[in-house]
Amino acid sequence: MHLAYPAVLAVLLFSVGVYGVLARRNVILVLMSVELMLNAVNLNLVAFDVWLRDTLHAGQALTLFTITVAAAEIGLGLAIVLLVYRTRRTAAVDRVTALGDRHEADDPADAAEEKEQAAA
Amino acid sequence: MIATHALAAAGGNSPSIPAPHIEYGQLSPMLVVFGAALVGILAEAFLPRRLRAATQLGISLAGLVGGFVAVVVLAAQGHASTRAGLLAMGSVAIDGPALFLQGVILLTAVLAVLTYAEGRLEPRINGHRIDAFAAQAAAVPGGEQEREATREGLRTTEIYPLTLFAVGGMLLFPASNDLLTMFVALEVLSLPLYLMCAIARRRRLLSQEAAVKYFLLGAFASAFFLFGTALLYGYAGSLRLGEIADVVSGVAPVTPALAVTTQNDALLLIGLAMVSVGLLFKVGAVPFHSWTPDVYQGAPTPVTGFMAAATKTAAFGALLRLFYVAFPGIRWDWRPVMWGVAILTMVVGSILAVTQQDVKRLLAYSSIAHAGFILTGLIATDRRGVAAVLFYLLAYSFVTLGAFAVVTLVRDSKGEATHLSSWAGLGRRSPLLAAVFALFLLAFAGIPLTSGFTGKFAVFQAAAGGGAAPLVIVGVLSSAIAAFFYIRVIVLMFFSDPQPSGPAVAVPSALTATTIAFGVLVTLGLGLLPQYFLDLATKASIFIR
Amino acid sequence: MNSLIPLLIAAPLAGAALLLLGGRALDRFGHWIATALAALSCAFGLVLFFDMLGRDTEHRAVTTRLFSWIPVNGFQADVSFQLDQLSIVFVLLITGVGTLIHLYSVGYMAHDERRRRFFAYLNLFLAAMLILVLADNYLLLYVGWEGVGLASYLLIGFWQHKPSAATAAKKAFIVNRVGDLGLSIAIMLMFAEFGSFAFHPVFSAAGDATEGKLTAIGLMLLLAACGKSAQVPLQSWLGDAMEGPTPVSALIHAATMVTAGVYLITRSSAIFDLAPDAQTAVVVVGAVTLLFGAIVGCAKDDIKKALAGSTMSQIGYMIMAAGLGPVGYAFAIMHLVTHGFFKAGLFLGAGSVMHGMNDEVNMRHYGGLRKYMPWTFWTFMAGYAAIIGFPFLSGFFSKDKIIEAALAKGGTEGWILGGCALLGAAVTAFYMTRVVLLTFFGEKRWQPDAEGNEPHPHESPKTMVIPMVVLTFGSLFAGGLFSLGDSFLNFLEPVTGFEEGHSPLNALTVSAIATVCMAAGVGLAWLMYGRSPVPVKPPVGSLLTRAARRDLLQDDFNHAVLVRPGSALAATLVWFDSKGLDGFVNGLAAAIGGLSGRLRRIQTGYVRTYALSMFGGTLVLVASTLLMRSV
Repeated sequence: MHLAYPAVLAVLLFSVGVYGVLARRNVILVLMSVELMLNAVNLNLVAFDVWLRDTLHAGQALTLFTITVAAAEIGLGLAIVLLVYRTRRTAAVDRVTALGDRHEADDPADAAEEKEQAAA
Repeated sequence: MIATHALAAAGGNSPSIPAPHIEYGQLSPMLVVFGAALVGILAEAFLPRRLRAATQLGISLAGLVGGFVAVVVLAAQGHASTRAGLLAMGSVAIDGPALFLQGVILLTAVLAVLTYAEGRLEPRINGHRIDAFAAQAAAVPGGEQEREATREGLRTTEIYPLTLFAVGGMLLFPASNDLLTMFVALEVLSLPLYLMCAIARRRRLLSQEAAVKYFLLGAFASAFFLFGTALLYGYAGSLRLGEIADVVSGVAPVTPALAVTTQNDALLLIGLAMVSVGLLFKVGAVPFHSWTPDVYQGAPTPVTGFMAAATKTAAFGALLRLFYVAFPGIRWDWRPVMWGVAILTMVVGSILAVTQQDVKRLLAYSSIAHAGFILTGLIATDRRGVAAVLFYLLAYSFVTLGAFAVVTLVRDSKGEATHLSSWAGLGRRSPLLAAVFALFLLAFAGIPLTSGFTGKFAVFQAAAGGGAAPLVIVGVLSSAIAAFFYIRVIVLMFFSDPQPSGPAVAVPSALTATTIAFGVLVTLGLGLLPQYFLDLATKASIFIR
Repeated sequence: MNSLIPLLIAAPLAGAALLLLGGRALDRFGHWIATALAALSCAFGLVLFFDMLGRDTEHRAVTTRLFSWIPVNGFQADVSFQLDQLSIVFVLLITGVGTLIHLYSVGYMAHDERRRRFFAYLNLFLAAMLILVLADNYLLLYVGWEGVGLASYLLIGFWQHKPSAATAAKKAFIVNRVGDLGLSIAIMLMFAEFGSFAFHPVFSAAGDATEGKLTAIGLMLLLAACGKSAQVPLQSWLGDAMEGPTPVSALIHAATMVTAGVYLITRSSAIFDLAPDAQTAVVVVGAVTLLFGAIVGCAKDDIKKALAGSTMSQIGYMIMAAGLGPVGYAFAIMHLVTHGFFKAGLFLGAGSVMHGMNDEVNMRHYGGLRKYMPWTFWTFMAGYAAIIGFPFLSGFFSKDKIIEAALAKGGTEGWILGGCALLGAAVTAFYMTRVVLLTFFGEKRWQPDAEGNEPHPHESPKTMVIPMVVLTFGSLFAGGLFSLGDSFLNFLEPVTGFEEGHSPLNALTVSAIATVCMAAGVGLAWLMYGRSPVPVKPPVGSLLTRAARRDLLQDDFNHAVLVRPGSALAATLVWFDSKGLDGFVNGLAAAIGGLSGRLRRIQTGYVRTYALSMFGGTLVLVASTLLMRSV
């Protein structure tokens, strides 16, 4: 099999991931899309490793690291998402927009605080 | 016993497994900090609550100061110059820039940790001193659980080990000599930071939002970094920066399989661009800057100060090593692109800062503009450029840390009063604090006799010497724009009448006072007597390969 | 011995740092630390002075380099100090008068709860002023120049709870910025022309530069001097600066800081000597201000503001003398020193009066105070006699020399300048006599204040009296001592140069005329204020009086000039700075602000937008990297 097949597949997978990050509103789905991107990388790394017959298997080693780190990252990400969900009862990224430059007139901090009090 | 003996005997004849050679002594700065982080976790698990805060502070300071001592000892032994070398089978480099930046990171971390422990700013609750971090990070804001935790005077002491892990990653980041190590360092420094953003005591919704944004965008950027890494691996057949450089310049032996991929320059160029994206995200360069203002504003201010100072230092260290060690051979490809990024960063950062109404956002945009100024030094692609960037990072870290520490002190009943309108007339109410903040702003603006001037002077001079005169002109122009909004704040503090219901300035304990005093000292010191540190940075400006 | 020079500055600097950072622990005795450090600095100055006297004339100037600040090829900026005859005169004046005023403030500020901070600022001022006069290059001089400006700002606004004090501080700050702009432009021009900031290389290369460039540099230096020394047209801040505590008015706004302009021009003599047009401008500014200040001084009922007008006028004398070239430099400095003594003494006397009168400043509410505060009265009288040029007292010698030098200019110019100076002397005698008559003679006119407390005039404590007595000696004898065998002139000559002026009148005649002028002024004042009781409510007065009460309409003038830029008069520098330059800057700022407002819409707060911008950025980065290769 030529290197091109896995490489192209990886690029496609990566693109799907990027699309997911940009298009999905649900934080969980965004996280999954990031996972897709990382797995595209893994596929790439393994393919290159095999193609280059790397005696040190640096590609495969990095793949293992990527998987491990991705697991940690997801764990952490879910913790943060859960925190936000419990407060706001929503996992939509588009609802988390108190910080930003648009709110010229009202102080975003105060606005958020009012919400906070309303929640309580 | 017998089994072991048999194994050993069996190994006697056949070739043995080569154990990796690890230079523990030279890795000691990182090992000490990681060790302290682990001790911190154990303390978190086994110590009773009331002892934790003080113990954690002690552990952190011991670890960080210990790490700094180790750095100084290594530098004194010549590991920054004559005895610089690659460690841990070539995956970590210990040389001038690495040790210099590790020293800066450790010092900033020590001062940042001092501001974490500040317990005098918030009013006591039931006799408990509380700090800037949530009573219980997992409790729902405004909920019963939070109220109870607050009543009991709980504190999120986990912040200390988290910081230590982040610092460990930051120490490794500028020293990492292969892309795998660099990736691991990147994640080790980022993951704790994501969490640290989320645990502010006041305005918890904003704090959590900052964490979500930072996390999602950070993960997104990491994915680009990794994809770039994979492409570079495919191109060069190695993750070592030095070996990539050899392949790029065509001195490495090429196997038939490698020949196929090496032909394909697109792999190299796209890989380089995508790896840069990951790093440019961390330094907050335009167009990868959009997280900066939101996260800086939402995160607890002591964390923001730490993040702004230390993360930038570490990420620029990694960026320098990547470009100067792995890709000096194709500088004609990346220099023009980085020109564009630097110009965009300086201009957009400065212009956007003009209309900001929030001190923390203002400082965030200012940090973006400064990333642009530092990039001009990077583009010089010579030793002077490296020295200038190192010096700038040293100068910038302490000013930033000091400025954010000042922000923690200006408070009203809702916590920190970060809206600029409430800073009006601060000079009348609290002249010393306003004067200190004015000094930091002047340093940001690059007014002579402050460290900021010396730093800007150094990077612009290096850039001009490296043939980037137009870049310097853009730099000076955007400095002028930037100076406008810094001066505006100074005018606001000294020449406006204070609001009747304006904020009060809290009197800090010795902890925050030390941080601010140190900031002032370094700002003035590097402005008045920069020579020693300029020499030090110049001596430390050679990368080992 | 040279190592003492940095210590001279370090002592008060350390005091300022200690007092500012030391916290409340130093509240009880911090002021004594500050006074001791000022005295220490003065002692260093004396040691250096006698050390200098022990050397030959050629070896008296010494330079000591502390360190070099960013030495890069082509740009050498050293922190190094030069102590020569000119600087040592200033050092002794600054530290000497400074120490006395520290001592005086111990009494004067005894009941102020922010006393520690006050002394910290005073020490800061001493250090900055010493840097100013000891710098061996313009860049370091600029540091000191800004430093004294900062200290002055902080001290004018020291009683910040009074809105008038805050406004006055702001005004001084802004007007001084205009002057500082002049200095910074002058420094840039110098660097562009001579490639250096240091005095020696600049002065030795000045001969090679064209006259036009030297004139430009000279005019910019004059602008700087106008700002700092309150000369027309940047004089408006000095009267308001009297809002500061009186010791500050004595030290900063009478004896030392406001004379920095004279120092700057004298120090830059090598440039001015080669730029006659700039010199003419200096002379004109000086002559105009000396009359302007004197007239303002005549009409003020506020004792400190009357003295402020007088200060403006006396500095006008100095600036005029400095503009006359080598004929006048030494006399400008001599008058500066004697003025430092008697004006500081007068201000301290005024402070002592206010101290005894519940901080009342209106002279119409004084009267007959000589019985109540004899020490203050007699020391004030000594200063009074000195400033009006009573024969054989300090002012007599130094002022006569300046009048002579002005006449020596020759021709019509000489007569005009000499006439101005003589007229100024007469007016000086008039307003000073008025001050004395209103304050110390006549009937008592004080009334209960708003809360019904009647003032009980009393003599001030010893810490305040002693400095006044010491300064009295300076007011009485300094001029005579300096003139004895032309000792002062001979001492300064190696630095400032000297050439004998050829006055159309001989020295004795000049002195006689000046004395007659003085007597006329005193007599007129006595006729108006001495013979009959002074009304408590000021009479309406003539048009000139009313104008003079309003500082000769200087604020109205500035106002009109700012508001109506179309008027022909508006083509002055004031206009340029506040309308032309600011208009441009404001337009630019508005443009950038608009751009910023538009750009910030990108920062929507939506994570997905951020991710999209990052992705777009990545695509651009990748594409441009690839493009670079194919180009």
